[in-house]
Amino acid sequence: MSDEAILMKGVCKDFKVLNRHEGLKGSIKDLFSRDYKTVSAVKDVSLTVNKGEIVGYLGPNGAGKSTTIKMMTGVLEPTSGEILVNGLVPYKDRTKNCENIGVVFGQRSQLWWSLPLIESFKLLRDIYMVPQKEYDDMIALYRSLVDIEPVLHKPVRQMSLGQRTLSDILAAFLHNPGIVFLDEPTIGLDVSMKSKIRDLILGLNKEKHTTVILTTHDMGDVDALCKRIVIIDKGSKIYDNDIDHLKSYFGSYRTLRMRIGDTWEERLIDEKETDVMSVIAETQAKHKIKDIQLQEISTEEVIKKIYEGGS
Amino acid sequence: MECRGLKFYLSIYRKILIQDLKSKMSYRADFVISTIGMIMTNVAGFITFMILFHNFPTINGWDYYHMLFLYGFSLVALTPVQCFFDNNWNLRFMVQSGDFIKYCFRPINVFFYFMSEVFDVKGLGQLMFGLGTLVYAWYHIGVPVTFLTIMQALIFLFTASLFMIAIMNFAAATCFWIQGSGYVMVIMFRFKDFAKYPASIFSGIFKIIFTFVIPIAFVAYYPSLVLLSPDEVPLLSWLSPLIGLVFFFLSYKFWMLGVRKYDFTGS
Repeated sequence: MSDEAILMKGVCKDFKVLNRHEGLKGSIKDLFSRDYKTVSAVKDVSLTVNKGEIVGYLGPNGAGKSTTIKMMTGVLEPTSGEILVNGLVPYKDRTKNCENIGVVFGQRSQLWWSLPLIESFKLLRDIYMVPQKEYDDMIALYRSLVDIEPVLHKPVRQMSLGQRTLSDILAAFLHNPGIVFLDEPTIGLDVSMKSKIRDLILGLNKEKHTTVILTTHDMGDVDALCKRIVIIDKGSKIYDNDIDHLKSYFGSYRTLRMRIGDTWEERLIDEKETDVMSVIAETQAKHKIKDIQLQEISTEEVIKKIYEGGS
Repeated sequence: MECRGLKFYLSIYRKILIQDLKSKMSYRADFVISTIGMIMTNVAGFITFMILFHNFPTINGWDYYHMLFLYGFSLVALTPVQCFFDNNWNLRFMVQSGDFIKYCFRPINVFFYFMSEVFDVKGLGQLMFGLGTLVYAWYHIGVPVTFLTIMQALIFLFTASLFMIAIMNFAAATCFWIQGSGYVMVIMFRFKDFAKYPASIFSGIFKIIFTFVIPIAFVAYYPSLVLLSPDEVPLLSWLSPLIGLVFFFLSYKFWMLGVRKYDFTGS
């Protein structure tokens, strides 16, 4: 087997959308019209993900993230281009592909609503035909990583959102898949649950070398989990590199905070253009600076700059 | 990797069913109320039937017990669609909200996985009621009880239920293409009420529609003729098991085509 978990080459996905007309007359017209326009959700995306990597897959709303994930999981067929997941073409071998992937869509539980978690686990064990020994080992691993007792015997419908997400993530890893797709796993969760879930994902990735594709809008997730990020905007890939490299994407930015009188003033400085010391000297000449702080730019700020039209 | 065959699916279904029943029992009030509801519905249906027959002793040459036989036959034949395929009613909501996507992430058949999620206990009341009616009418008509007639009854009841399941599959799967599929389902489900009358009472165009377009006549009339008039069984009756299998298969293919074609937009 090769080292690549996912291989995408020039993948495009177009949707046909009916051109809707306004008003009642328009609606009647729509009934008979074949007036479609084509919307490109994903344009020529190429991507290689190696086994065991955790990749943050980012982009503003409607950028094409979900569409890409749906193509990788075999739900949607790409309009053109090539996708190989664990060496399989997902859309052609959907069932086989599903054996070796796990999927979590935040806020959308895939567990049996009325069953206690442990019963869902047993059903999944049978569905994926996991040998009893491997199943027991996995449950033991779960116990070592997170406190699963409070959720194990609780029906999913009685769980809090946090418990449900936790359960869904555990269920996605249960058959020890090569790749797990996590779509906004921490959405709507409190700080402590977020960190619990991040630790769990890191732990499972470390123990089982599971490849993780993570979409999120929470930069805390990205900072905690991902070494590499891929950013997609309007269907095109605009960034694919280390997270450390990201910070110098627009130049080497730093935030300079100066306390003048009783207020803190902030300035974002591109060190390629301006020197921090000269800014301080300049300000010093006019005001009395009481205190100084120099901060690295946060991932959140860089991503925001990219979304707002870096390209 | 081993192949997932019939045995695998049956065992999975059994396990899901047991768990589902267990959790249903734990909501006792819900369980009791829905059972009572089902009994009431059946009793009401039966009373309507009695009143009708009180006024017309025969319909088109069919006397009371023959009609009762047909009635019981249709109730039993409608049980599988009610018990095992009830989730079809939720299909359009799940497709519209996007929740349907979760059925596509498991290494098992999507149609099976989707249907296995709901087992409707209420159908069992209907089954009991239908069986009782059928046996009662069988006894009074004097259909002989032999191995052959029992086997015929089983095979043709199975056939009849395939038709209703297929009709509902077709109706439900329209939601992959159109918005108003709820109406299609309701109308199709209403048609089942025609199943308990002999198709010979419908004239011309309706008979053709209920035989070849929306094959409601196959849900009780044609299959039951094998037992009710063994001397002059129409060809369509003998062919109904085959037609039923083909029709069911087509409805399954149509359903799966919908899944493949659907864009899963919105997340």
